[in-house]
Amino acid sequence: MASTELIFISGKGGTGKSAVAAALAISRARSGQRILAIDMGQSLGLGAHLRSPELPYRPVEVRPGLHAISMDRAHALDEYLKLQLRVPQGAPTRQLAGALAVLADTAPGVREIISIGKPVYEQWRGEWDAVVVDAPSLGQFQSYLRAPTTISTIVPSGNVKAQSERLEATLLDPGITSVVIVANPAELPVRETAESLDVFSDETLCPPPTVVMNRMLDESGLSASDLAQLPAGSVSDAATMQVALEGEQRTWSDAIEWSVRLPYLRGVLTPGEVAEQLADALGDRMDERAGGAA
Amino acid sequence: MTPTIIVTGAGGVGKTTLSAALASALAQRGHKTLVLTIDPAKRLADALGIRDLGDEPQPVSDRTGLWAAMLDVSASWEAIIHRYAEPEVGDRLLVNPYFRAIADRFPAAQAYAAGERMAEYIESRSYDMIVVDTPPSGGGIDFFRAPATTGDLVSGKLLKWLTGSNMPGRNILYRFTARPVLRIADTVLGGPMLSDVADFLIDLRTMYDALSNRSRTIERYLRAAHTIVATTADPTPVHETRRFFRELGGIEIHPDGIIFNRTLPRAWVTDAERPIRGIDDPALRALAKANLRAWAGEARRQEDAADEISVRYGVEVHPVAWVTPPPTTLDDLEDLVSATKLIDELDALGSAEKPRS
Repeated sequence: MASTELIFISGKGGTGKSAVAAALAISRARSGQRILAIDMGQSLGLGAHLRSPELPYRPVEVRPGLHAISMDRAHALDEYLKLQLRVPQGAPTRQLAGALAVLADTAPGVREIISIGKPVYEQWRGEWDAVVVDAPSLGQFQSYLRAPTTISTIVPSGNVKAQSERLEATLLDPGITSVVIVANPAELPVRETAESLDVFSDETLCPPPTVVMNRMLDESGLSASDLAQLPAGSVSDAATMQVALEGEQRTWSDAIEWSVRLPYLRGVLTPGEVAEQLADALGDRMDERAGGAA
Repeated sequence: MTPTIIVTGAGGVGKTTLSAALASALAQRGHKTLVLTIDPAKRLADALGIRDLGDEPQPVSDRTGLWAAMLDVSASWEAIIHRYAEPEVGDRLLVNPYFRAIADRFPAAQAYAAGERMAEYIESRSYDMIVVDTPPSGGGIDFFRAPATTGDLVSGKLLKWLTGSNMPGRNILYRFTARPVLRIADTVLGGPMLSDVADFLIDLRTMYDALSNRSRTIERYLRAAHTIVATTADPTPVHETRRFFRELGGIEIHPDGIIFNRTLPRAWVTDAERPIRGIDDPALRALAKANLRAWAGEARRQEDAADEISVRYGVEVHPVAWVTPPPTTLDDLEDLVSATKLIDELDALGSAEKPRS
């Protein structure tokens, strides 16, 4: 049996990473895979895109083959204590959990390791074909990926250290883990994506990420020289804007390497429709890796 | 109190840019205005001339009356410690490895530091108006919750449980019942981690009275400020904006207005249905018409989203036009907002409180 793929979707705020994460999960589930989608952030964006705004911590089937959960640190901590740390017999578990909950809010790395730990445990359990994670935006996601190393250096020995090392090994295994960064063809998202790609590779935080260029406008066929022939008014204004955006799009989409293009959806109303339409556009384009981790 | 404008909302909608634009336009109208920015992109920082500045306000060289400061979370927390902790405790806190980590990472830490800075600038009475950009954590809501959250941290359950209800002396650190649990926790975790964190929290606890007084003051300023929510009409920011209004309502904060950034002209919706005249080339006419139609669909969606939010939450919507390429100079920034009713409103707010000389 192929091992579970672990796919993190991150990107600059506002580029549409929750929508792309939902679309990827939907597209994989449509092709018959058993998928767990995890909302790791606080934005509730993934749930909205899956038409299930209030995602619980226990997996709920939002469509055939696609289960989804939302991270909840209290539950994740509880699971971490029970399943991962093997607390000794007779220890006052409840008080320990209370104490560790505060620790998780304050000690460096603990909060992050509990958050990044959840998707990795789901990968270890091997129940899914793929775990698709709507990860936080770039800077925060990177601090999550650093957490296992941070913990290993703070904690001299013991269970926590052993767990952290195992987490790190999974996150760095290119046969298991992949990272997708969502960008838009504009200056700020492209610059921020390029800077983050340097950080991912300089610090070896994960296997080399792939970039999805989201919100790509279809070319209108209009050119700058056409604009002079248009009478003043809405027609001319809309054409001028389109030509300017196409220029911006060409400049910035050429400035960085990306592998998948997703369309700019004009006039689409709800997060649910956005995810469905992106899933249509995605088709099997991101399924090259399906089963590739065998 | 100095009229203060808080610009808040989801990530990626242009909050930082809009804050700078509003501040610049207010300075242009004769108010000495400070903008506190959180994490400006290079382009904006260049426009404001604040690339390498700390959080000391600096005049923006080519704009009379416009001042800018960039939030430095670590420096702000050091200042807070110096101001509110006993010197001995303060020294210990500043070298504590957890302090640095918290100052850099605790999500409420950035939000609290921004609130503290805002309060200091208000109290300095050096400006006619202050515009505050908000940190993105918790979708912007953390900024409004930070005073309370910080109070919870220093009076938290763990500390009560460790120390009982009285303030501890450092020598009788942990209560009898707490000690064995701590030992087990450290065994499980593999290091003296929890005890170290407890020591740190106990030091922080000595600042409790000072910090909670301060938190109440900051909260009073937050509630008296003019709150503007920024969004775009894209489905995700709109969804987050709804949640934001609900959560702000839950803590009794009612925004004074909402900016819809990157708005298209409403005329496109109706003009797309009209026959197009004055283009001789039929191929070009077809292309131009198809293009206007495609954008009209987007304009219609924006209109619906703005109307729905405006009605549902009873706030005035201020559209800010979508400009391409994005603004790079102070003039471009001012052009973004100078035609809005919002800037007239804020201008009046500044004039009402300004002592006339």
